Amino acid sequence: MEKKNNTTRPDHGKSPFRKVYDFLSGFHLATVSLLLLLLLTWLATLEQIDHGLYPTLNKYFSWKSWYLIPDMVPEINGKKLPVFLPGGYYVCAVLLLNMILGGIIRIRKGPKQIGNLISHFGIVFMLLGGGVAHHFSERGNMAVSEGETSNVAEDYHEYVVEVAEVTDGKREKFHVVRGKHLTDLEAGKSRIFDFRGIPFSLEISGYLVNAVPSSELERPPRNNERTVDGYYLERIPGEVETERNMAACYARMISKDGTKSEPFILAGATFHPLTVRDGDRIFTIDMRKRLWPMPFEVKLDTFTADFHPGTSRPAKFVSDIRRVENGQESKLTISMNEPMRYEGLTFFQASYGPQGAKPGEPMYSVFEIVKNPADKWPEYSLYAVAFGMLVTFLTKLGGHLGASSRKRKNES
Amino acid sequence: MIELAGLGVRAYLRKMKTFSPIIALVCLMIPACEKKAARMTVEETRKETTKDHSPKLFASSDERFRNAKPSPVKGNPPENWLVLPAKEFRELNYRFGESGEAYVTLASGSVGDNVNRWMRQFGRDPLTTAEMAALVKIPIAGTEGVWVEAAGEYASGMGAPAKPGQALAGVIAEVGGRILTLKMVGAEAEVAAEKEALKAFAAGLQLVE
Repeated sequence: MEKKNNTTRPDHGKSPFRKVYDFLSGFHLATVSLLLLLLLTWLATLEQIDHGLYPTLNKYFSWKSWYLIPDMVPEINGKKLPVFLPGGYYVCAVLLLNMILGGIIRIRKGPKQIGNLISHFGIVFMLLGGGVAHHFSERGNMAVSEGETSNVAEDYHEYVVEVAEVTDGKREKFHVVRGKHLTDLEAGKSRIFDFRGIPFSLEISGYLVNAVPSSELERPPRNNERTVDGYYLERIPGEVETERNMAACYARMISKDGTKSEPFILAGATFHPLTVRDGDRIFTIDMRKRLWPMPFEVKLDTFTADFHPGTSRPAKFVSDIRRVENGQESKLTISMNEPMRYEGLTFFQASYGPQGAKPGEPMYSVFEIVKNPADKWPEYSLYAVAFGMLVTFLTKLGGHLGASSRKRKNES
Repeated sequence: MIELAGLGVRAYLRKMKTFSPIIALVCLMIPACEKKAARMTVEETRKETTKDHSPKLFASSDERFRNAKPSPVKGNPPENWLVLPAKEFRELNYRFGESGEAYVTLASGSVGDNVNRWMRQFGRDPLTTAEMAALVKIPIAGTEGVWVEAAGEYASGMGAPAKPGQALAGVIAEVGGRILTLKMVGAEAEVAAEKEALKAFAAGLQLVE
């Protein structure tokens, strides 16, 4: 950002390009953007108490959210004022643009501005890191019992549909329909999915974010829901902790000759997959949270939980693990605030169970796994900002000391 | 000289250079605004993981959604009984009237133990040997079982509060070394009205295993 230093130049003499450029690189836009970010963060922090963290983050900071209407708006005569705010993603994008144009391109270049320039680069790097994390990071969790091994994490939110062929009782290759192709298939919408090497297609419709298969004998359908083999999908209000939602949908098989099967239910809340037969080939169709295979195995040797005396406040959770890759074992420890970073993945100690386990009872450890290409960018950007500020401070201090010295010399 | 937007080409390119970060950012800000197709080919696959156990093939809807095992007992309930999903300790499970329920259980212990367990639920003392021997016998699952009746305040013993004005009718038999119980509980009038249906249902019961 560069303060306008050419105040004598009449605005009407500028080209339209210049006016837009001045606006986008100006202090005013930076100030408004920062205030908006402050407001959005404050409103989101309050709103997530009732609506949960994940949906609130999506509402306020997703790239899909151009604008939003906050829950906390003033009311007049019992009616909420229609207050519209820009989405946080786009406010950050505008701030990034402003910082590039004003804080890097337009800024006066000289020895005295080096510190500012470094700090601005740091902020730009931080904003870019946020964008990269938003678009390219993945999160999941892995629960491993003591003495057991896991090579897979499970997504917190995304439900997928998987089709796999069963050969000798085993499934080796799972075809995965990602959640982004399902979530828009609400009532009345459907989509057909073809799979390479699978002799049928799937037509999926009626996606519900949170639903359970209910028996019509237990509770007859109240909203004219479609009943399949005695069951229908009963919609449940979304959970505040959205990872507890159980998605569901209706599907039907389409044979190569175009024949459609009777519809069937696919749901996250199921114990077994649906089995279908095509000739002498057998396939399973299932809906579940997306599995995310790891490039190595994690074996949990021991899990230790220490609490502050007389409280349930955790003092220390420690997982002693063995990372197994290509037959090679590495002994490691993952604890609170001391994650394992390896091959672009970060394993955080997230939770454990069973809660209230007695001494000697087998326990399991839960790791949160994050793959974020910009994992360390905020840290590096903070170093850059701090270094830039230090340079600015030292430059100013040097200038001040030099001026004072010259002043004393002149006075003497 | 070629002009673009009133500017010479070089001046125009200079302006465009200035605005190139804006253009780049706008391109970044409009990611994948695609219209989703009505039909698509799924390319993503994954390999088997430690979470993929051998699947239970050809599971029924009850098994898929309730993890229910096929009942070892089969019966032909009266039309006015509502079939409920089986659950733990209830191999067959029905509802009738306003609050009546009937269910079949494979229990442990002896016939006498189970008769007295039912008696305790109505606050009754255990039956004496003579009273036990005097119980009426009726056909059930290819053998004979004892017909049990009780009425009064019913406490199921499952943590639910005791309910007055209840009645019980049921049959307990030893079948193939196992204790088969058929129990009907509900409001007195409703149970009284269904006693004959219960007896007919008991006679038609079959142990599949």
